[in-house]
Amino acid sequence: MVLYMKNKHTFQHDFETVTLAYFNRYPNPYSKHVKSIDTVEKYIDLEGKLHQTKLIRKCGHLPNWVRPFLGTISSSWIVEKTVVDPISRTMQTYNCNLDYTKLLTVEESTFYKYDFEKGVTHSTATVSFRSRFKRFGALNLKDKIEDWSKTRFTEHSQGSRMGLKIVMERVRQKMADRLKQSQEQLKQVQQVRQCNA
Amino acid sequence: MGNIMSTSFAPECTELKHKYDSCFNSWYSEKFLKGKGLHNECEDFWQDYKKCIEVHMKKQGIEHLLDDARKEAPFENGGTPKGKPTQLSAKDSKAR
Repeated sequence: MVLYMKNKHTFQHDFETVTLAYFNRYPNPYSKHVKSIDTVEKYIDLEGKLHQTKLIRKCGHLPNWVRPFLGTISSSWIVEKTVVDPISRTMQTYNCNLDYTKLLTVEESTFYKYDFEKGVTHSTATVSFRSRFKRFGALNLKDKIEDWSKTRFTEHSQGSRMGLKIVMERVRQKMADRLKQSQEQLKQVQQVRQCNA
Repeated sequence: MGNIMSTSFAPECTELKHKYDSCFNSWYSEKFLKGKGLHNECEDFWQDYKKCIEVHMKKQGIEHLLDDARKEAPFENGGTPKGKPTQLSAKDSKAR
């Protein structure tokens, strides 16, 4: 059996803030398990959409009952793909682990869409949990692994969202500072012009 | 953003990554989203950073990750995970 999960959320921010925060979401107080993130590919397609591929290294612990089969896993690699359409103000993201895929593959796809009327950004996420483990005697490891990972994922998703919100606030503050700075520069230029006139 | 930035998998590349990321963030906000230019002006930073990653991936024997990452084509089926959802637990939430 493959397990699925769907989740919807509305962020009270504009598209720029949400997407910039997504790209810069690490580090945050909820991301201690994330060791690194690197951009490995980026391009703009013929429709003007921005594509990026990133590699993320995460640390984590597996449950005790899986250790006899796999030993201790200390870290794993995640691929992240994003596509941003600047015209429709939408972003599609995809995250999936690259190793230990026999044990478990977790695929997360999220669609972000800016609501031009309300000035907010809606997100819809679909996550699938798939293990290729076979039944081991009386122990149905496949179902157990999928159940365990779905539970863990649900526990962690609130933290991920909190982390993202902290970064959104950071981005919003930075944009406000930048606006203030450029307004002050403009004011200075106007004052200089008045003096010279 | 700002002073708080993530690190590269190779400590040697972190500085180059920060330079590229800063450039990317400004370009993304001020040009790309405003439709002011498809040309990515961070190309020089990007080339230096990319070269560094490739060298260190090879050093650590993990260069296959680059191919693995590139060959993933999740958006061919509209970005949704393969297969049909059989068990859904929808949860709507709204928060600031």
